[in-house]
Amino acid sequence: MAAPSDATKAARLASGAALAAGSRGRRSLANYLFMPVLLVLVLVFTYVSVSRRDLDSTESKRLAFDFILARTQEHLELTVLSTVLVLIIAIPFGILLTRSFARPITPFAIAFFNIGQAVPTIGLLLIFAIVWSIGFVPTVVALAAYTTLPVLRNTMVGLTQVDASVIESARGMGMTKLAVLTRIELPLAVPVIMAGLRTALTINVGTATLGAFIGAGTLGSLIVSGYSSNRPFITIVGGILVAVLALLIDYLAGIAEDALRPRGL
Amino acid sequence: MSDDISWYESFWTYLEFAWQDVLDLGVDHAVVVIISVLIATVTGVALGVLTYRTERPRELVLAVTGTFLTIPSLALFTLLIQLPLLGLGAKSVVVALVMYGLLPIVRNTIVGLREVDSAIVESAQGMGMGRAARLWRIEMPLAWPVVLTGIRVATLLLIGIAAIGAYINGPGLGELIFGASVGSAVALNEVLAGTLGVIVLAILFDFVYVVVTRLTTSKGIR
Amino acid sequence: MTDTQDAVAPDSGTAPDGGKVEIRLENLAKRFPGQDDPAVDDLTMEIPKGEIVILVGPSGCGKTTTMKMINRIIEPTSGRIFLDGEDVTDVNPDQLRRRIGYVIQQIGLFPHVSIANNIATVPKLLGWKKERISERVDELLEMVGMDPGQYRNRYPKELSGGQRQRVGVARAMSADPDVMLMDEPFGAIDPITRDRLQNEFLRLQEQIKKTIIFVTHDIDEAIKMGDRIAILREQSHIAQFDTPERILVNPADDFVADFIGRGASLKRLSLSRVRDVELHQWPTVEQGASHDEVNRLLEGSDKSAVLVLDSERRPVKWVNADHLRRAGDGRPLSELGLPAEAVVQPNATLSDTLNEMLSARYSTAIVVDSSNAYQGIVDIDTINETVRSLRRAEQGRLRGGDDEDEDR
Repeated sequence: MAAPSDATKAARLASGAALAAGSRGRRSLANYLFMPVLLVLVLVFTYVSVSRRDLDSTESKRLAFDFILARTQEHLELTVLSTVLVLIIAIPFGILLTRSFARPITPFAIAFFNIGQAVPTIGLLLIFAIVWSIGFVPTVVALAAYTTLPVLRNTMVGLTQVDASVIESARGMGMTKLAVLTRIELPLAVPVIMAGLRTALTINVGTATLGAFIGAGTLGSLIVSGYSSNRPFITIVGGILVAVLALLIDYLAGIAEDALRPRGL
Repeated sequence: MSDDISWYESFWTYLEFAWQDVLDLGVDHAVVVIISVLIATVTGVALGVLTYRTERPRELVLAVTGTFLTIPSLALFTLLIQLPLLGLGAKSVVVALVMYGLLPIVRNTIVGLREVDSAIVESAQGMGMGRAARLWRIEMPLAWPVVLTGIRVATLLLIGIAAIGAYINGPGLGELIFGASVGSAVALNEVLAGTLGVIVLAILFDFVYVVVTRLTTSKGIR
Repeated sequence: MTDTQDAVAPDSGTAPDGGKVEIRLENLAKRFPGQDDPAVDDLTMEIPKGEIVILVGPSGCGKTTTMKMINRIIEPTSGRIFLDGEDVTDVNPDQLRRRIGYVIQQIGLFPHVSIANNIATVPKLLGWKKERISERVDELLEMVGMDPGQYRNRYPKELSGGQRQRVGVARAMSADPDVMLMDEPFGAIDPITRDRLQNEFLRLQEQIKKTIIFVTHDIDEAIKMGDRIAILREQSHIAQFDTPERILVNPADDFVADFIGRGASLKRLSLSRVRDVELHQWPTVEQGASHDEVNRLLEGSDKSAVLVLDSERRPVKWVNADHLRRAGDGRPLSELGLPAEAVVQPNATLSDTLNEMLSARYSTAIVVDSSNAYQGIVDIDTINETVRSLRRAEQGRLRGGDDEDEDR
């Protein structure tokens, strides 16, 4: 039927009811630069504050460059390992749970994973620590267990959103189920999987902070040790560093998401 | 913990004498979450309504609230308690929870309002409905299911994060988790009670949202 | 020649001297920010009271923008708008819009609100009393042929496309506005339903006599619906503003001729209605008649079938000699033969009638009156004769048109 004329579109724009094309495209240079510049400024400010302050022995031990570097390394290792684990579990299971034989339970699975968002990570970590042990490995597993739920959920939603008519026409052209999955569904679901990666990284980098409570070190240990030794300065520096690291990881994951998004979507 | 008692028997015994405490903490937890969700809803819907039609403010609001959500909760809590007027306790927890709850609510408000068919809005305008009437009588009711979903997601998110608030002396089930002295006989029971309590609370809230969605959505758009 | 005497002076964009002017657009222009050329450039026209004026033109010509400036959904950059003599260019736009009915292609019914409340939108804004609103809603639903008891409390998603369109029209008329703006109101409806709705709307307009501005890109719809057509070229420049007859017969320039397109003779069939032509007769019998009677009738006629009517003279069946032979004696006529399809009313256009006829048996359309009683038939000869006479008249008018030009 009659497509709305250009005049109609112009009219909608003018009347303010227009849905301007979503700004999902590449960002502008200023947009790209804003976050790193901000983070660098915060780091410089923190460095200057630390170096100009008279530190007592506890503070100088916790805020030594090497100490912070080691904690950062622990933090990143936890984040990366648990994220890899999440993707290994969540993507195949997401695919499995959206196959036709699993369709009847898909909505229930999604509702279950929604509730999973409310599971308190700190409780999960402590349960792992008590029934298993404290340290790096239980933390990785606990983080992965927690983050798997939202990523699995997003993967399932993404895969079920691939247009049924696209799949039908592909099947109609004689493609096998496997070919439809690998050539149509997965490529169309790449943005969803990338979003899942970003979600996993962002959640894990935040939750890894709590590893400090069960002996996994991380930058969170600055916050915890500052708090327990009543040295607010250490807590503040720790808090700032944790926030900067999380924002940086999220920023990098966002760029990766933009860069790897297939064109035409 | 003696070996001849299984963990769930032990947990059951624990609940038998501690259920009143767990219940009280659960109520505290719910109250903190409800207050935070209310503030986040008023603020978030207002921000969404103010910015959904203009690209730059919209992007800015989404970027800022997205940044809030990215800051790890332990960092945000411990930074907030350093601020004057906030300090240790419930106030800092509520401020942090509101900050975390904003993104889902703002985003869904914006998406919901922008998804309203422009033809419907234009016909309302063409019949002489003013800007405010269009927003409250046409656009908001149509966007409402999406907005409500955002509030629901925010609520579930905050129920989980609120547990960490206990670290800065906030009220709620987190007290059981952070109060547990690792190594003691009751540690696992306390952590389990806190964690499962939060999950039960989440399920209860989710059920309430199913009912609220049913009751507040027009029959014509269900 | 005679029927063109009382028509409008062509091209100038003015209404007939005698007719009352309802809407006057004066030097209206719209320039959208960031666009080099204005969307509407200096448009002046007058829209007579109680007529359907069609704005038609190619995509992007500014017809929709022009219409939306009248209820100021789009604010004009310059120029004035007069409604019934009153300058409404600067009045409160919401107050203005409550006086103007508005129907758009997507209809835009409020999905979260019942049909009754959809129709009650403007009366509520105007602060009518509850009982008055409810009476008005029922009256309007009946007016557009929908049973109030059945539809009042339904929601838009429970209606068909055609029903939604009817509710859209009812909603636009709710506060009894003098002026209605319609932007491709039948554009999103399947062709068969569209034809029916167009006919219904024309019948309705005969009663309500609104001043209607109707935007379409479809010249056939324009010819069918319009009392007067403004053919617009880019930036809403008027290429020709005239009655459909005169535009078809005497296109102002190549642009208009091009836009009308080929097959102009066939288009003219949209201008003539069944009531304007002489009906032919067909052998008919009451459904209670005996088979012998029918056979006798067939023998004495050059037609191969008879039309069976029921007791209220409504057409029921076509029956021919074969049908009678195969059925044997005793079976009532209403159970034999083929259903009587291709039934039209006197206000149907010949173009619609031709369409019906082409798919019907015996190349015949049955004409009935408003109570569906048989009046006569239209056959292909009638249509041919009409086309021929229209063409003769056109040639005569073209000559006449040249004379007019010389007179100026």
